[in-house]
Amino acid sequence: MTLRFIDSGPARAGINMGTDEAILEAVADGLSPPTLRFYSWSPPAVSIGYFQGLEAEVDTDECRRRGVDVVRRVTGGGAVFHDDELTYSLILPDDGSVVSGGPLESYVTLCAGVIEGLRELGLQASFAPINDVTVDGRKVSGNAQTRKRGCILQHGTVLLGLDVDAMFSLLKVPDEKLRGRLVADVKARVASVSALRGSKVDYPEAARAFARGFSRALGADLLPRAATGGELVRADAIAREKYDSASWTARRP
Amino acid sequence: MRVSCVRKEPGGKLLRLSARVEEGRVLELRLDGDFFAHPEEAFEAAEASLAGCPVADFGIAFAEALAGSGVTLLGLSPAFVAESLLEAIAKASGEAP
Repeated sequence: MTLRFIDSGPARAGINMGTDEAILEAVADGLSPPTLRFYSWSPPAVSIGYFQGLEAEVDTDECRRRGVDVVRRVTGGGAVFHDDELTYSLILPDDGSVVSGGPLESYVTLCAGVIEGLRELGLQASFAPINDVTVDGRKVSGNAQTRKRGCILQHGTVLLGLDVDAMFSLLKVPDEKLRGRLVADVKARVASVSALRGSKVDYPEAARAFARGFSRALGADLLPRAATGGELVRADAIAREKYDSASWTARRP
Repeated sequence: MRVSCVRKEPGGKLLRLSARVEEGRVLELRLDGDFFAHPEEAFEAAEASLAGCPVADFGIAFAEALAGSGVTLLGLSPAFVAESLLEAIAKASGEAP
């Protein structure tokens, strides 16, 4: 198998989500080949899952004060603060050629790319159901998947750095009385790749490692390409019409 | 009356259920959380279709609505949603859940 490989680098939240969706459309329409894409977030952003309530999960005033974007994903899963990380997306035909079995099996198959990328960085990682990857029991990667128009879209994060206090100033907690305990719990259970390796892993190094990791895990040759002009134009339109709009972001207020 | 609860399915995801229940019927229902369901729009159609459903029939009706539109759920089960509705009603009624 060959996979088109796009390294988009940093963009704002609406463009990041719009580009994933534009590529999904292009792959579904047979205009673009199956694709692995890497990207990051500038400015930092909070993304929430498709089914999450905005106000229950995000301190939107604090996000505005700090210049942090807020975006609702097309995938389920939880709220994520995207700052120092590598984000990937995989867009593949949902025809059983790469991914088969139930939803959990497909996470196992595709998260193997994250695990192999971490191995490239010298870390022994494992899949932690339902949708996480852990090193020594600490979460370094969260992943989310959906299926649309005959395609599978999985995107996920790899933490390169972590600021739990900043994260909790932007995200709400289920019970304010338990905030202190929750913050301590996350500090114990979540870790960045840089902290685990003991030296800084920056985006370019991570991109090289995870390109090799996904290639090996999926048995795919990567063809480095840019997104097509059509995809970029469509990504911009989807960002403006959908991901930047309050009607999408607050569809579950 | 308005009822709500926040519960995590064992081995699954967090569910924030809120509903309006009158005379043994669910009049409004909202199921938020970090679970996965696809097609997402079909899950939402099933969620909306339960308005007017008798509480006693809720579990079966929700499971049938999801199955009927081919929804795949991950991290949440219809049985857990039904159990959560009963717990939310019990909490709002002042009974021990």
